[in-house]
Amino acid sequence: MNLEDKVLEIMREVFEMENVTTDASQKNCERWDSLHHLSLASELEEAFDIDLEPEEIADMTDFSRVIALLETKVK
Amino acid sequence: MTTFVFRNQTVEAFFGYDGMTYSGYDDISMVPGEVDRYIWFYQVPVNADSAQLAQEIESYSSKLDIVLSAADASKPFVVFSLVNLFPMRLTGDETAVQQAVTAFNDHIAALAASWPNVKWVDFSEFTARYDADTLVNWKYYLMSQTLLNPKLARDFQSWWQRIEGELALQRKKCLILDLDNTLWGGVLGEDGVDGIKLGGDYPGKAFSYWQRSLLQLAQNGVILAVCSKNNEPDVEEAWQHNPFMVLKREHFSALRINWQDKATNIREIASELNIGLDSMVFVDDNPTERELIKQVLPQVEVPDFPAKPYELMPFFKQLVEKYFRIYAVTSEDRAKTEQYRANAMRQAEQSHFADLESYLYSLDMQLDIIPADEHNLPRIAQMTQKTNQFNLTTRRYTEADVQQRLDQGWRVFCMSVRDRFGDSGITATIFLEPTDDTTVNIDTLLLSCRILGKGIEEAFIKTVFNLLRLDGYRHITADYLPTAKNGQTADFYDRMGMTLEATDEAGAKHYSMALSDMFEIKNYYNIRVL
Repeated sequence: MNLEDKVLEIMREVFEMENVTTDASQKNCERWDSLHHLSLASELEEAFDIDLEPEEIADMTDFSRVIALLETKVK
Repeated sequence: MTTFVFRNQTVEAFFGYDGMTYSGYDDISMVPGEVDRYIWFYQVPVNADSAQLAQEIESYSSKLDIVLSAADASKPFVVFSLVNLFPMRLTGDETAVQQAVTAFNDHIAALAASWPNVKWVDFSEFTARYDADTLVNWKYYLMSQTLLNPKLARDFQSWWQRIEGELALQRKKCLILDLDNTLWGGVLGEDGVDGIKLGGDYPGKAFSYWQRSLLQLAQNGVILAVCSKNNEPDVEEAWQHNPFMVLKREHFSALRINWQDKATNIREIASELNIGLDSMVFVDDNPTERELIKQVLPQVEVPDFPAKPYELMPFFKQLVEKYFRIYAVTSEDRAKTEQYRANAMRQAEQSHFADLESYLYSLDMQLDIIPADEHNLPRIAQMTQKTNQFNLTTRRYTEADVQQRLDQGWRVFCMSVRDRFGDSGITATIFLEPTDDTTVNIDTLLLSCRILGKGIEEAFIKTVFNLLRLDGYRHITADYLPTAKNGQTADFYDRMGMTLEATDEAGAKHYSMALSDMFEIKNYYNIRVL
């Protein structure tokens, strides 16, 4: 599974939504509130065995930024 | 089900969002009435000023008291104990925070003892599994006010699910044990009565601890049974003559000591004790036997058996927590092993009588019909939670639910049953809702399967009908609601002479009957109405 698909799958699970697409962002996705955001960060850390800094977590405001961040972290 | 959580930290990741509503942080100003359940889950905040922190913790007790008196007392209220997740002491003799935590935990134990709707949950059982660095994640705490590491959310959910089962009094009923290398070390047929490893030094000592622990489990209402490939006379001899034997014949409610396959034996035990296969746990050291049961009887729980005798105590703890622990045990639960054994004796007796009637006479049955009161209320609620087979509507009620219905004018009776073989205790109940001046609806009617087979259900309901008639009631309505387990009651009301009014597509049946004459009841029941 490629990175994008894996992240989409994690997002679906965290947000408890069946449809999460690559254009999802905090603005257009109601479930992506501050609480779910932290759950998402925690799940990403577990899934990819990485550590995210608070500043990085704050910057992951949409799907493409999440991917861009993970590409720097995941070898 | 909707739950309202009082909390002082972010706990959404642990309890989830579905059906959950959360208070503001440390906010007790709003106590909603329209919920099904309350949870109090506070955590110890972090504060280097220990005197101030201790004071804050002390305030939780009075806050909880305020919330409790404002909350709907008919709704369950679950209180988590406090755990200091990040203990920090500036001097070695500093004890104020620890004392405040202990005082709060003592306070909630006292509340649980005095409020029927309050149950307390020992949160330290969960936290004790982790080291300090795993429990607290400072990054997430500072971003979102949740000291407990959000990465433990999944572990927490599976632990909490189990605790919820305990609170709902759900557990397995019967533990089936093998003998050789399971209850003692070695093989009886080869090592002999005095050669098996039991008592004395290791490894015999490990089996002694294990047997004593199992005895405690039996005294808490878990039914023990034996399923072993052995010569029964050898086992009898070991029970009688090995001085270290703790568990003996009288502790087991059913025995299958033979060379038949164990799946057949376990099926027979289930029907002899009249309990479902899904209420059974099978413990055997032999992986082949375990595999057979897993394959043939997938409803039976089959845990792996420890390879070394010194692992038996942790194995016992795991058995208890996974299958047998419930929030509280009633005296009926404790007496259960004895009752099942008495049942086995009654069955043996039955075969000596030519006909059922003379057998029933010989039992000298005493039925006491008792209106619900504060003493029998916990047992009545418990029966509605646990009874599956002889249960016409399978409505589950808490103590508070029953109390609420009594307050609304419902009539609730229970029945205590004994005969010359023993006392079965309170084993039946009926809930009657007056729907107008002369009509009563049977909301709930159930009997424990332990007392079935003696016509007691008929004597019970006819006595209740007679009582209702004397009180001026002239009509009865009743429902049968089918479940996967209550098929044996599908035609009960037909047999009692009620008229089937309607059957809906789900199979629910609605009955009515006029109370015109008094019912005659067989005179082999000695019935007292208390």
